[in-house]
Amino acid sequence: MKGIKKQGNNITFSVIVIILALIPLFYSMGVISSTSTIMFLGKCIAFSIAAIGLDLIWGYTGILSLGHGLYFALGGYAMAMYLKLQATGGKITEFMHTGGLTELPMVWRPFTSLPASLIMMILVPAAVAGIIGYFIFKNRVKGVYFSIISQALTWAAYSVFIALSPYTNGNVGISEIKSVFGSIKGDANLGNLYLLFYIALAIMVVIYALSYILVQTKFGKLLVAIRDGENRTYFSGYCVSRYKNVIYIISAVFAAVAGALFVNFNGSITPSQMTISYSITMVIWVAVGGRGTLVGAVIGAFFINLCEYNLSSGELVNIWQYIIGAIFTVTILFFKGGIVGVVRDNIPSLLSKRKGVSR
Amino acid sequence: MARSTAVEIKNISVCFDGFWALTDVNINVKRNTIHFFIGPNGAGKTTLLDIICAKTKPTKGSVFYYPENSDGIKLTGMKEYKIVMEGVGRKFQVPSVFVNLSVMDNMILSLKGHKGVLESIFYKPSKQELMLIDETLEKVDLLDRKNVIAGSLAHGEKQWLEIAMQLVQKPQVIMLDEPAAGMGKPETFKTGEILKEIKKECTVIVVEHDMDFVKQVSDRVTVLHEGKVLMEGTCDEALSNETVQAVYLGRGGERDA
Repeated sequence: MKGIKKQGNNITFSVIVIILALIPLFYSMGVISSTSTIMFLGKCIAFSIAAIGLDLIWGYTGILSLGHGLYFALGGYAMAMYLKLQATGGKITEFMHTGGLTELPMVWRPFTSLPASLIMMILVPAAVAGIIGYFIFKNRVKGVYFSIISQALTWAAYSVFIALSPYTNGNVGISEIKSVFGSIKGDANLGNLYLLFYIALAIMVVIYALSYILVQTKFGKLLVAIRDGENRTYFSGYCVSRYKNVIYIISAVFAAVAGALFVNFNGSITPSQMTISYSITMVIWVAVGGRGTLVGAVIGAFFINLCEYNLSSGELVNIWQYIIGAIFTVTILFFKGGIVGVVRDNIPSLLSKRKGVSR
Repeated sequence: MARSTAVEIKNISVCFDGFWALTDVNINVKRNTIHFFIGPNGAGKTTLLDIICAKTKPTKGSVFYYPENSDGIKLTGMKEYKIVMEGVGRKFQVPSVFVNLSVMDNMILSLKGHKGVLESIFYKPSKQELMLIDETLEKVDLLDRKNVIAGSLAHGEKQWLEIAMQLVQKPQVIMLDEPAAGMGKPETFKTGEILKEIKKECTVIVVEHDMDFVKQVSDRVTVLHEGKVLMEGTCDEALSNETVQAVYLGRGGERDA
């Protein structure tokens, strides 16, 4: 019993992974009716990865970033640029022509090869987060001020991506792309879809495991220490700003990985993925699932997106935004621990009550 | 020749938006003594501690620290975490332990050295360090609460844990801001005995209001009033000084009556 309590988060995560791994079985049995649902679940896996990163910086370290959409989009664009060049055979794209470019711009060159693209996918967000974090944390900007700055930066990046339309295709974003493994649409390409799906699942497991190990180390304990007593941590001899910067970079890279996976399932990326509202949606996933638990981030990402997927069609489409707002508000006001918190606080006592009755 | 001074506060003045919290304060703190800063509320005691550990920048003057067997260091202008590494520890007025971590983890995070980011990922405390932690927890009587979450400790126990967290860093100077605040008589007395034990290994600077506590453990007392040093001497000298009685102890007497 004690073991279950201690490992509860990991067991829950394993159950989620097993259910996802059985998706092909569900599809062949007819429980899932279309491949688009599988693609949707793939996107949810990507969202979970971003949420885990956000949980590390918000749930564990207490830094609320409202701008992680930026890193999600940076990873997404890196992947999309590679996939676009695969589609055009390394040639200059349509929108570059329209924008007046005659040859492939420098920034696009690295994206002709997959290894270089993957390196850029990690390196660019890490560098951006590193530079931004260095100045913000060194100057001891924290709390709500950090949140506002992170928002403003995301907004600025969004404007830049729209303004540079010959390079980014502005508002439309990069579309008409296949996944890394080729087309995933339709029953004919089911093999590709499953391959992509399992790779995404494996990446999620790796990211979860890495994060879980990280929070068990002294580094992870220090993140909690910074959250609970930043001053005390400074006066215990730690350069807190350096720790904050490192965890900020890690969570930015996770968001970028998530963005790259997302593009594969989604078949396009647009600047709307780096808007403020999109960034706040990520925060809602983590809050509703349960902060500082890792598995809560995964649960929240799946829960909110599944709700949206099933409820936001038909009549509810107009009020969906209100529903999600209400869920968020109620969680913050009454259930600080989110779904995981509610379960963790109530299930043990419920179980012992039942035992008492049966005795 | 080993210097007898551990901390030298030299011509310190500090101004907050036109208000002089401290004016021209000079204090020498001798090695291996328990030195008290006392005075009425707003006298500048906590500000003085903040200046020593670089939480606040002085408007004028500087603070020097003389570690045993090495050259003096100017603390003013240094980063606070570097001051800690040099061996100057600080306990805050409100007990600030890491409430969501166990007592043991609180102590591990406070150990001397291993403060780098990379190191923290692969770090495991050595046998000696674990023994040091046990010894230190023994001193403050918290050894049997080792695996308890710090947030669930009683108020007094949190104060002792924070003192233990300073001790385990093996500091040469330890600053305590109201270590006996919110404690009952027996707990206060016990805190005093802990301080006498600490004094053998390092210099202790204490800010405190409880005069019985001051009598119990102080070697030297500096009385501050409105940002200035009113007098310095032993506890008895301070108690018998008429000005001190008027500005500080008199009020204490009224409060007790």
